[in-house]
Amino acid sequence: MPLVIFVDDSETALASTRMSTNSMPIEVKQYTEAQVALAEIKAGMTPDLIITDLNMPVMNGLEFLKELRAFPATSRTPTLMLTTETKPELKQQGKALGLTGWIVKPFNPAQLKQAITRVLRLPA
Amino acid sequence: MMMLDSIDELLVHIKEVQLDVIELSNESLMKMSSFMEKNGLEIDEDISTALQYQDIVTQQLNASIEAIDSMKKSIEIFSHAFKSDEGLANESLAKLQEKLTATLQEAKDKKSRFSGKHAPEHAEDEIEFF
Repeated sequence: MPLVIFVDDSETALASTRMSTNSMPIEVKQYTEAQVALAEIKAGMTPDLIITDLNMPVMNGLEFLKELRAFPATSRTPTLMLTTETKPELKQQGKALGLTGWIVKPFNPAQLKQAITRVLRLPA
Repeated sequence: MMMLDSIDELLVHIKEVQLDVIELSNESLMKMSSFMEKNGLEIDEDISTALQYQDIVTQQLNASIEAIDSMKKSIEIFSHAFKSDEGLANESLAKLQEKLTATLQEAKDKKSRFSGKHAPEHAEDEIEFF
Protein backbone atom coordinates (compact mmCIF):
# COMPACT_ATOMS: atom_id res chain seq x y z
CA MET A 1 0.00 0.00 0.00
CA PRO A 2 1.27 3.52 -0.71
CA LEU A 3 2.68 5.30 2.32
CA VAL A 4 1.20 8.72 3.13
CA ILE A 5 2.74 10.79 5.90
CA PHE A 6 0.96 13.63 7.66
CA VAL A 7 2.93 16.27 9.54
CA ASP A 8 1.03 18.68 11.78
CA ASP A 9 1.74 20.07 15.25
CA SER A 10 -2.00 19.97 16.00
CA GLU A 11 -3.17 16.65 17.48
CA THR A 12 -6.77 17.42 16.56
CA ALA A 13 -5.85 18.13 12.93
CA LEU A 14 -4.00 14.79 12.83
CA ALA A 15 -7.01 13.03 14.35
CA SER A 16 -9.18 14.56 11.64
CA THR A 17 -6.88 13.45 8.79
CA ARG A 18 -6.47 9.99 10.36
CA MET A 19 -10.25 9.44 10.64
CA SER A 20 -10.87 10.92 7.20
CA THR A 21 -8.50 8.48 5.48
CA ASN A 22 -8.93 5.29 7.53
CA SER A 23 -11.03 3.61 4.82
CA MET A 24 -8.51 4.33 2.04
CA PRO A 25 -6.08 1.72 0.69
CA ILE A 26 -3.08 3.58 2.07
CA GLU A 27 -0.66 3.22 4.97
CA VAL A 28 -0.63 6.34 7.15
CA LYS A 29 2.11 7.64 9.42
CA GLN A 30 1.70 10.84 11.42
CA TYR A 31 4.19 13.24 12.96
CA THR A 32 3.77 16.30 15.16
CA GLU A 33 7.27 17.58 14.28
CA ALA A 34 8.66 17.97 10.75
CA GLN A 35 12.22 17.38 11.92
CA VAL A 36 11.26 13.92 13.24
CA ALA A 37 9.61 12.98 9.92
CA LEU A 38 12.67 14.26 8.07
CA ALA A 39 15.01 12.17 10.23
CA GLU A 40 12.98 9.04 9.43
CA ILE A 41 13.03 9.87 5.73
CA LYS A 42 16.80 10.32 5.85
CA ALA A 43 17.01 6.98 7.66
CA GLY A 44 15.29 5.24 4.76
CA MET A 45 11.52 5.79 4.95
CA THR A 46 10.14 6.41 1.46
CA PRO A 47 6.70 8.04 1.52
CA ASP A 48 4.61 8.12 -1.66
CA LEU A 49 2.85 11.30 -0.57
CA ILE A 50 3.63 13.90 2.10
CA ILE A 51 0.92 16.15 3.53
CA THR A 52 2.24 18.85 5.83
CA ASP A 53 1.04 21.80 7.84
CA LEU A 54 2.77 25.14 7.31
CA ASN A 55 2.92 26.89 10.69
CA MET A 56 4.83 24.63 13.05
CA PRO A 57 7.44 25.39 15.69
CA VAL A 58 11.10 24.46 15.08
CA MET A 59 10.69 23.58 11.37
CA ASN A 60 7.81 25.03 9.37
CA GLY A 61 6.23 23.44 6.32
CA LEU A 62 8.22 25.43 3.76
CA GLU A 63 11.52 24.69 5.52
CA PHE A 64 10.51 21.02 5.60
CA LEU A 65 9.68 21.11 1.89
CA LYS A 66 13.06 22.69 1.11
CA GLU A 67 14.82 19.88 2.99
CA LEU A 68 12.71 17.27 1.18
CA ARG A 69 13.61 18.71 -2.20
CA ALA A 70 17.31 18.77 -1.30
CA PHE A 71 17.24 15.06 -0.36
CA PRO A 72 17.51 12.77 -3.43
CA ALA A 73 14.90 10.20 -2.31
CA THR A 74 12.20 12.86 -1.82
CA SER A 75 13.28 15.45 -4.37
CA ARG A 76 10.18 14.63 -6.45
CA THR A 77 7.81 13.13 -3.88
CA PRO A 78 4.32 14.68 -4.21
CA THR A 79 3.74 17.06 -1.31
CA LEU A 80 0.58 18.88 -0.31
CA MET A 81 0.38 21.81 2.12
CA LEU A 82 -2.59 21.56 4.50
CA THR A 83 -2.86 24.84 6.35
CA THR A 84 -4.95 27.70 7.70
CA GLU A 85 -2.66 30.08 5.77
CA THR A 86 -4.15 31.80 2.74
CA LYS A 87 -1.37 34.28 1.92
CA PRO A 88 -0.65 34.22 -1.86
CA GLU A 89 3.10 34.91 -1.33
CA LEU A 90 3.40 31.74 0.75
CA LYS A 91 1.61 29.71 -1.93
CA GLN A 92 4.06 31.11 -4.47
CA GLN A 93 7.02 30.12 -2.29
CA GLY A 94 5.61 26.60 -2.05
CA LYS A 95 5.02 26.43 -5.78
CA ALA A 96 8.60 27.55 -6.45
CA LEU A 97 9.82 24.71 -4.22
CA GLY A 98 7.83 22.16 -6.23
CA LEU A 99 4.79 21.85 -3.99
CA THR A 100 2.03 19.72 -5.54
CA GLY A 101 -0.94 21.57 -4.10
CA TRP A 102 -2.43 23.75 -1.34
CA ILE A 103 -5.40 22.80 0.85
CA VAL A 104 -6.93 25.38 3.18
CA LYS A 105 -8.24 24.19 6.56
CA PRO A 106 -10.81 23.26 7.58
CA PHE A 107 -10.78 20.66 4.82
CA ASN A 108 -13.72 18.52 3.79
CA PRO A 109 -12.90 14.80 4.37
CA ALA A 110 -14.31 13.84 0.94
CA GLN A 111 -12.15 16.45 -0.79
CA LEU A 112 -9.04 15.32 1.09
CA LYS A 113 -9.70 11.73 -0.01
CA GLN A 114 -10.21 12.90 -3.60
CA ALA A 115 -6.94 14.83 -3.52
CA ILE A 116 -5.01 11.80 -2.21
CA THR A 117 -6.72 9.53 -4.77
CA ARG A 118 -5.78 11.94 -7.54
CA VAL A 119 -2.14 12.42 -6.53
CA LEU A 120 -1.52 8.71 -5.90
CA ARG A 121 -3.62 7.70 -8.93
CA LEU A 122 -5.63 5.27 -6.84
CA PRO A 123 -8.75 3.66 -8.30
CA ALA A 124 -11.65 6.08 -7.74
CA MET B 1 4.75 53.50 36.62
CA MET B 2 2.18 51.75 38.81
CA MET B 3 -0.13 51.75 35.81
CA LEU B 4 2.43 49.95 33.67
CA ASP B 5 2.88 47.31 36.38
CA SER B 6 -0.89 46.75 36.38
CA ILE B 7 -0.93 46.44 32.59
CA ASP B 8 1.94 43.96 32.81
CA GLU B 9 0.05 41.87 35.37
CA LEU B 10 -3.07 41.97 33.22
CA LEU B 11 -1.10 40.77 30.18
CA VAL B 12 0.35 37.89 32.21
CA HIS B 13 -3.16 36.95 33.33
CA ILE B 14 -4.58 37.06 29.79
CA LYS B 15 -1.71 34.91 28.53
CA GLU B 16 -2.33 32.31 31.26
CA VAL B 17 -6.05 32.18 30.45
CA GLN B 18 -5.29 31.75 26.75
CA LEU B 19 -2.84 28.91 27.42
CA ASP B 20 -5.49 27.19 29.55
CA VAL B 21 -8.09 27.58 26.78
CA ILE B 22 -5.68 26.01 24.25
CA GLU B 23 -5.02 23.07 26.56
CA LEU B 24 -8.67 22.49 27.50
CA SER B 25 -10.05 22.79 23.98
CA ASN B 26 -7.40 20.36 22.73
CA GLU B 27 -8.16 17.91 25.54
CA SER B 28 -11.88 18.19 24.93
CA LEU B 29 -11.68 17.44 21.20
CA MET B 30 -9.06 14.71 21.63
CA LYS B 31 -11.44 12.96 24.06
CA MET B 32 -14.16 13.14 21.43
CA SER B 33 -11.91 11.84 18.63
CA SER B 34 -10.59 9.01 20.86
CA PHE B 35 -14.17 7.98 21.57
CA MET B 36 -14.99 7.99 17.87
CA GLU B 37 -11.92 5.99 16.91
CA LYS B 38 -12.43 3.48 19.73
CA ASN B 39 -16.02 2.89 18.62
CA GLY B 40 -15.25 2.87 14.90
CA LEU B 41 -17.50 5.85 14.22
CA GLU B 42 -17.15 7.50 10.84
CA ILE B 43 -16.12 11.13 10.64
CA ASP B 44 -18.31 13.51 8.65
CA GLU B 45 -17.68 17.03 7.44
CA ASP B 46 -19.10 18.68 10.58
CA ILE B 47 -16.97 16.65 12.99
CA SER B 48 -13.90 17.13 10.82
CA THR B 49 -14.52 20.88 10.80
CA ALA B 50 -14.97 20.91 14.59
CA LEU B 51 -11.61 19.17 15.05
CA GLN B 52 -9.90 21.58 12.69
CA TYR B 53 -11.45 24.63 14.33
CA GLN B 54 -9.48 23.68 17.44
CA ASP B 55 -6.31 24.07 15.36
CA ILE B 56 -7.49 27.49 14.18
CA VAL B 57 -8.35 28.52 17.76
CA THR B 58 -4.88 27.42 18.91
CA GLN B 59 -3.11 29.33 16.16
CA GLN B 60 -5.16 32.47 16.79
CA LEU B 61 -4.48 32.35 20.53
CA ASN B 62 -0.78 31.60 20.01
CA ALA B 63 -0.55 34.63 17.70
CA SER B 64 -2.11 36.84 20.38
CA ILE B 65 0.22 35.32 23.01
CA GLU B 66 3.15 36.33 20.77
CA ALA B 67 1.69 39.85 20.66
CA ILE B 68 1.40 39.88 24.46
CA ASP B 69 5.04 38.79 24.84
CA SER B 70 6.12 41.50 22.41
CA MET B 71 4.07 44.16 24.26
CA LYS B 72 5.49 43.07 27.62
CA LYS B 73 9.02 43.38 26.24
CA SER B 74 8.30 46.89 24.87
CA ILE B 75 6.83 47.96 28.22
CA GLU B 76 9.89 46.59 30.06
CA ILE B 77 12.23 48.56 27.77
CA PHE B 78 10.19 51.72 28.36
CA SER B 79 10.14 51.20 32.15
CA HIS B 80 13.89 50.71 32.19
CA ALA B 81 14.50 53.91 30.17
CA PHE B 82 12.07 55.82 32.37
CA LYS B 83 13.77 54.69 35.58
CA SER B 84 17.30 55.43 34.34
CA ASP B 85 16.60 58.87 32.90
CA GLU B 86 13.24 60.60 33.20
CA GLY B 87 14.36 63.06 30.53
CA LEU B 88 14.16 60.23 28.04
CA ALA B 89 10.61 59.39 29.03
CA ASN B 90 8.87 61.34 26.26
CA GLU B 91 11.10 59.88 23.58
CA SER B 92 10.67 56.39 25.03
CA LEU B 93 6.92 56.82 25.24
CA ALA B 94 6.78 57.66 21.54
CA LYS B 95 8.85 54.57 20.75
CA LEU B 96 6.61 52.47 23.00
CA GLN B 97 3.51 53.67 21.22
CA GLU B 98 5.09 52.91 17.84
CA LYS B 99 6.03 49.40 18.98
CA LEU B 100 2.61 48.66 20.44
CA THR B 101 0.86 49.87 17.27
CA ALA B 102 3.11 47.66 15.10
CA THR B 103 2.53 44.66 17.39
CA LEU B 104 -1.23 45.17 17.26
CA GLN B 105 -1.18 45.39 13.46
CA GLU B 106 0.89 42.21 13.18
CA ALA B 107 -1.51 40.39 15.51
CA LYS B 108 -4.48 41.54 13.40
CA ASP B 109 -2.77 40.35 10.21
CA LYS B 110 -2.18 36.94 11.76
CA LYS B 111 -5.81 36.74 12.83
CA SER B 112 -6.82 37.07 9.21
CA ARG B 113 -4.05 34.80 7.86
CA PHE B 114 -4.69 31.97 10.33
CA SER B 115 -8.46 31.82 9.88
CA GLY B 116 -8.36 29.47 6.89
CA LYS B 117 -11.76 28.87 5.31
CA HIS B 118 -13.39 30.26 8.45
CA ALA B 119 -12.65 33.71 7.03
CA PRO B 120 -15.59 34.75 4.78
CA GLU B 121 -13.25 35.74 1.92
CA HIS B 122 -11.82 32.19 1.82
CA ALA B 123 -15.00 30.23 2.59
CA GLU B 124 -15.25 28.97 -0.99
CA ASP B 125 -11.55 28.09 -1.42
CA GLU B 126 -11.04 24.74 -3.12
CA ILE B 127 -7.97 22.54 -3.19
CA GLU B 128 -5.46 24.23 -5.46
CA PHE B 129 -3.13 22.02 -7.50
CA PHE B 130 -0.01 23.61 -8.94
